[in-house]
Amino acid sequence: MPLIVIGLSHHTSPVHVRERFAFADARIPATLELLRSTGVADEAVILSTCNRVEIYAATSGAPKQSMPTLRDFLVHCHDYRDPLTDEIYTFAEPQSIEHLFKVACGLDSMVLGETEILGQLKKAYDLALQHGCTGAVLNKAFQKAFNVAKHIRTETNIQRGSISVSSVAVELAQKIFSSLDDRQVMVIGAGDTSEKAARALLSRGARSIIVSNRSHERAEALAAELGGRAVHFEEWAREFDQVDIVISSTSAPHYILDRAKLQPLMRARKNRPLLLIDIAVPRDVEPEVNFMENVYLYNIDDLQTIAADYLKQRKEEIARCEAIIVEKARSLAGGRRPGLPPLSEPAFGHE
Amino acid sequence: MPWFNDRTIFLFAVALYGVSAIYSIFLLRKGFREDNRLNYLILVGAFALHTIAMFQRGFSLQRCPINNLYEATMFIGWTIVTAYLVLGAWARLRFLGAFAAPLLFGMGVYAFILSLGVKQTTQPDFTGGWQSLHAALIFLSYGAFGLSSLAALMYLNQEHDLKFHRMRAIFSLVPPIERLELIILRLLIAGFVLLTTGLLIGGLALTPPPGTSYWTDAKVVWSIIVWCLYLALLILHWRFAQTGRRFAWGAVGSFAFVLLTFWGFSLLSGIHNP
Repeated sequence: MPLIVIGLSHHTSPVHVRERFAFADARIPATLELLRSTGVADEAVILSTCNRVEIYAATSGAPKQSMPTLRDFLVHCHDYRDPLTDEIYTFAEPQSIEHLFKVACGLDSMVLGETEILGQLKKAYDLALQHGCTGAVLNKAFQKAFNVAKHIRTETNIQRGSISVSSVAVELAQKIFSSLDDRQVMVIGAGDTSEKAARALLSRGARSIIVSNRSHERAEALAAELGGRAVHFEEWAREFDQVDIVISSTSAPHYILDRAKLQPLMRARKNRPLLLIDIAVPRDVEPEVNFMENVYLYNIDDLQTIAADYLKQRKEEIARCEAIIVEKARSLAGGRRPGLPPLSEPAFGHE
Repeated sequence: MPWFNDRTIFLFAVALYGVSAIYSIFLLRKGFREDNRLNYLILVGAFALHTIAMFQRGFSLQRCPINNLYEATMFIGWTIVTAYLVLGAWARLRFLGAFAAPLLFGMGVYAFILSLGVKQTTQPDFTGGWQSLHAALIFLSYGAFGLSSLAALMYLNQEHDLKFHRMRAIFSLVPPIERLELIILRLLIAGFVLLTTGLLIGGLALTPPPGTSYWTDAKVVWSIIVWCLYLALLILHWRFAQTGRRFAWGAVGSFAFVLLTFWGFSLLSGIHNP
């Protein structure tokens, strides 16, 4: 039985189309059962995330006949009556296997190389497995996909590095401090990005957050949300001797921290390393402070450059990952069906 | 084969340290993103040859081969490569070889030059258990100081990359700079304790040869200067918050002083170079 994939993703359809095809978790078991009982598929897994809706199916019929049936099923299942052009793609082997592997590795994701999709794929597979909707073909294909994802993660740099500003901030902190446990973080100016960075640091073990904002109510609200405490904006410097990481994003038109102000504060901190993340525009921290010993200053451009470099590195890894995927897909498809056409000859299907 | 002796084997070991040092330059340039297994294996090979050379020399002398400057330098190098190979068993710490290899190569060349002035089988310069312990502890302390200077070089390299926002600071496998500083400190403490013990044994358990005095011996005075240097470094760190880059430069500078002056003061010493 060949593996077939039918679905739509962020590559082919906008969100207003994807949301109409999305399966609620509670609806998936019944849909899987319907696929089997109506004979549309012998085995099936439904993957429904914010960026894709896909049915992985194994059918006893020829893919050429099964694919239109699956497509009709998907459309009618959601009672979708608007015209469709290239939103829905279908793949037969070997592209279907390659596609599954690419999805598992995050190569088909909106954020290249992200790992969340692997968890979603495992969850979708487990659900189908629990309801007895998988068999020899899908079990083997999905197990192989999880192995390939692991292999790609360890052998290539596709998932290495952070490509968001907040996770770059965490990564920098990890290069400076032995451990993020027991580190005190200070957020000056309660903006969206600084909140994300603070959350990321907390999730990696940072002890607590001190929030200071011109609007003290906003500071208190954010501090309560992050499990930290708020200090008045005029008093943030008093807390400095306990702080290891500062995330600053005020809308002040001038520097709120300069060399002259930081020098006595560093002495009070006994020259312990200090990471300053300045994501404000105009900048909050005078660039000169980076020349002070044990002070590491990164502004928004520095963080974005690092994130962009990581993304560039990930893109450079795509060819390597694809070569591995083609080889693994060939071994899986070849093992099941001797005499399969070479992978360079495309089977039918489109995206 | 008269030419095939411990010195020849050591020369092969030094050649392998050299190969590793060259390879390390590529690793450093790539920010340790490459696998360090090859470098580790080269250093395993060099270590094997180094050990064989030391054993062969030890068997020919019928004692621990720390009897002259050549053997002492060889021994310090051996402690450093042994420590690296133990740490390198953890894949994450294997990158340390890129810093150890140039130092080992430098020490190897230095030791080999010294070996040219040493007779192949010679009477040991030191005899007796206390003398051997005195020498071994002091050389082990130099090994610890050498390792601390390596950690300090790593610190300076990583700190520079972090300051100047180089991507390789994040890509590299080098530990966080705060941990590196702790490693420098611990190695300095270990080295200082070993040096103090070694010097105390020398001063209390050994008697200077007739007609000589510890207080006029160049090597003894030099050793006290080195001891004071490391004590000052530790006091500045603990009491005067001299941390980070300054502390790392202190560790590098102190060991550079030891390396550059050790030979000269040993030659000037009437007790240590009779």
